[in-house]
Amino acid sequence: MTAAVRRPGRDPALWATVFVLWVLLGLFVLFPLARLSWLAFFDGGRLSLEHVWSILGDPNHRRAFANSLLLAALVGAGGTALGFLFAYTAARAGLGRSWLTALDAATLLPLVSPPFTTAIAMIFSFGPRGLITYHLLGIKGATAYGLHSTLFAETLTYFPIAYLTLRPILAAIDPNVEDMAFSLGSSRLRVFRTVTLPLAVPGFANAFLLLFAASLADFATPLILAGNSFPVLPTQAYLQITGLFDFKGGAVLSFALLVPAATVYFLQRYWVGRGAYVTVTGKAGPATMIKSVAPWARWLLLAACAAVAVVIAYFYALLFYASVVMAFGANHALTWRHYHVIFTEGLKAIHDTLIIAGVGMPLGGLFGVLVGYLVARRRFPGRRAMEMVSMINYALPGTIVGIAYLIAFNDPPLALTGTALIIVACYVFRYSPTGIRATVALLQQIDPSIEEASQGLGARSGMTFRRVTLPLIVPAFFAGLGVVFIRSMTAISATIFLVSINWTLITVRILENMTELSLGPAAAFSVLVVAIVFAVMAGISWALRRLETGGGLRVTSILGG
Amino acid sequence: MISPVAIRLEGVSKRFDHGVKGEVYAVRGVSLIVRPGELLTLLGPSGCGKTTTLRMIAGFQEPDAGRVWIGNQDVTRLMANQRNIGFVFQSYALFPHLTVFENVAYGLRVQRQADAEIAHSVDAVLDLVGLAGYDRQMPHQLSGGEQQRVALARAIVVRPRVLLFDEPLSNLDARLRVQMRGEIQRLQKALGITAVYVTHDQEEAMAISDRIAVMQQGVIVQEGSAEALYHRPASEFVAQFIGRTNLLRGRVTAAAGTGVEVEVHGQRLHAAGAASRPAVGAAVTLVLRPESIAISAGGRGLSGTVVSRTFLGEKVEYQVRVGGETLQVTDYGAGGSRVLAPGEAVTLEVPSTGVWILGGRA
Repeated sequence: MTAAVRRPGRDPALWATVFVLWVLLGLFVLFPLARLSWLAFFDGGRLSLEHVWSILGDPNHRRAFANSLLLAALVGAGGTALGFLFAYTAARAGLGRSWLTALDAATLLPLVSPPFTTAIAMIFSFGPRGLITYHLLGIKGATAYGLHSTLFAETLTYFPIAYLTLRPILAAIDPNVEDMAFSLGSSRLRVFRTVTLPLAVPGFANAFLLLFAASLADFATPLILAGNSFPVLPTQAYLQITGLFDFKGGAVLSFALLVPAATVYFLQRYWVGRGAYVTVTGKAGPATMIKSVAPWARWLLLAACAAVAVVIAYFYALLFYASVVMAFGANHALTWRHYHVIFTEGLKAIHDTLIIAGVGMPLGGLFGVLVGYLVARRRFPGRRAMEMVSMINYALPGTIVGIAYLIAFNDPPLALTGTALIIVACYVFRYSPTGIRATVALLQQIDPSIEEASQGLGARSGMTFRRVTLPLIVPAFFAGLGVVFIRSMTAISATIFLVSINWTLITVRILENMTELSLGPAAAFSVLVVAIVFAVMAGISWALRRLETGGGLRVTSILGG
Repeated sequence: MISPVAIRLEGVSKRFDHGVKGEVYAVRGVSLIVRPGELLTLLGPSGCGKTTTLRMIAGFQEPDAGRVWIGNQDVTRLMANQRNIGFVFQSYALFPHLTVFENVAYGLRVQRQADAEIAHSVDAVLDLVGLAGYDRQMPHQLSGGEQQRVALARAIVVRPRVLLFDEPLSNLDARLRVQMRGEIQRLQKALGITAVYVTHDQEEAMAISDRIAVMQQGVIVQEGSAEALYHRPASEFVAQFIGRTNLLRGRVTAAAGTGVEVEVHGQRLHAAGAASRPAVGAAVTLVLRPESIAISAGGRGLSGTVVSRTFLGEKVEYQVRVGGETLQVTDYGAGGSRVLAPGEAVTLEVPSTGVWILGGRA
């Protein structure tokens, strides 16, 4: 009996909120998508697939489609393997606290960085004047472009998603189950093969699909690293619009991207996303000495993890180094001039980005908490639909969202192109779903009768929300807030279509610098973004820790997706 | 003190969507009057609709049909926050982010009372429930019993018109349960407030209630005092749900004064009372409470054989085979009687006041 869900009844506040949210969702989620489909599939008011065929018939585009799928599959496989290595080491190698913290730090860095920092570091390292290729190995005219480097950079960027997915699943496997297999005479390898791996299978599928989707949607890495020989869909769509001003072509290409993206999303969400074997039956065993890893294997695992961590650390060190030398690869004299450049010429981008992130953050946090609360706790017509619609922009590759916004808000009365509003709206509706999920998850841990107790004592629904529910879901609010801010600082795939002379972003400037080969300022900008993001993350986790002392409710990972 | 008000339900029904069975009735046409100042218990097994009924009185759920009255006011369409009720939840439902003081003060703050007044009322009520000095604690620092007292204080401090309890003691251990139910009863009487109490524990219901309404599958099957329900159950369900009982099949052979003569396993028993006056010749069910049967090695009455016995100190419980059936008999050994061994032949003597007849209505 879903006794907790109250009917709207005579609750005008609920109706007003639901109405406003639907107007916003309609305007910033459904309308752009409708405009995009209209442009792609209709010609002069009639359904016409002629253009679609001509775009898809282009062998270059077909190659981009195949390349995208190939790259995504390889990143999915490689990232899942790397994520499993880290997760298994964390869960089974019997590490101390400081080791675990080091593992977490190594995986956190790529997660919160602008998406192309690894790509930039790859150029610094393996490019024509790269530290390794040119200076160390003396190779002249080395090329850092193509499938291999894109795959390497994306795997390193996205494997933490697999780590975060697999670690709780491995941790939830009761060690007694493995002990049992030992006691029946299995060897360690056999236990791993016949017990541990099969129990982790749902996690593998989940991690693979999440990575597949991330790679499919990635725009910045291939733009920098893929080069002309390895076109992929997001970059093709971008070039179709910014290079050829062919909006229709861009719309069709983004739909080509939508098909695999939507397939993977639904597979992940409704098929494997659910499943994890419940291995805890009855009382979970006491923490036994975990014997599932032999001493030599333990060292091997640690060495492998350390190697990956060193590569990550090396890339970020390189990025910092490139930001403080005159000209990386040619003149290694120390200088602050790049920082001087970004704080003078680049100041507008910093200024704009901070304003947009600062405005989007509270709006996105509030939106996430409101939608999450309504979806989890109130009953009104269209509740499920609201939950699904609010997830759309999050699930779609950024390129699609960007092109859809560009097309939808180009004409009066909704001519928002060139304003800050369009960028803020894009971020709010694209990144608040993390807050929605966190709110729903938190509310599921809170007994609904706590809110009924408030109602029984005479409080109206607005007051109950303000005085009881809101304080209890503040952790989710902060988590949502943090994600919106971080993504506003680091995202590029959607908003590269939305920047203008009036409003620009740091990430877009980094990309421009890269194409102009002013690597120093690009590195300085990247370092600045990483620094700001870390400062904000530290502030938020401090606030969360303060909040968690009383209630015992927690938001597990604020960066789960 | 405000004078207590009555609660009245008129043909209240509530349906739910059930995943498998489709629409099912949780409560079906319940009518009930709770008298002013009375503590009435809704008693029944899980899923019988007692909590749903209580939640409709509170306003957490709206009935699909029927009306709910509190005092002279029809509150059917009022939300819970407009009904002026005190509700004590099974899970306590304390606000985890507020101190004990702020938890109790919550309802007063909703009423926008002055701070000094609030402090005075909260201190007084914390004192009343035995939690003086706990005001700065957080809920998670308290034991289960203390949390329950905070929940109780929070419900009564607003001087509600009615107090509603939803299985308030089921999360406490057995000894604390007995202690708390005494305190709840004492407080309810001291405040003179009309109360409805939901439980599935028949002993708790008998201990605490002025009257009990037994529910089964969404309807009230019998209302009355604990004694009435125990000695004069209206159905086999009530007879079995309240206390331990033996049910025997028999046939009415003759009317005898206000009672009847019944034949059971070829032997005659006299029954003084019946739920409905049975016709001669009708098949009936006899309700025999284990402690109303006198067991002895020799004497007059039903003859049987001891199957097993359990010695429990102040009493001995026997399983006795009579005809094709096994009866439970409790012997309190008042006369220092001998403990009978399994296999021994015994006679069971039942006074006519210890037999209650169900069914066979004329």
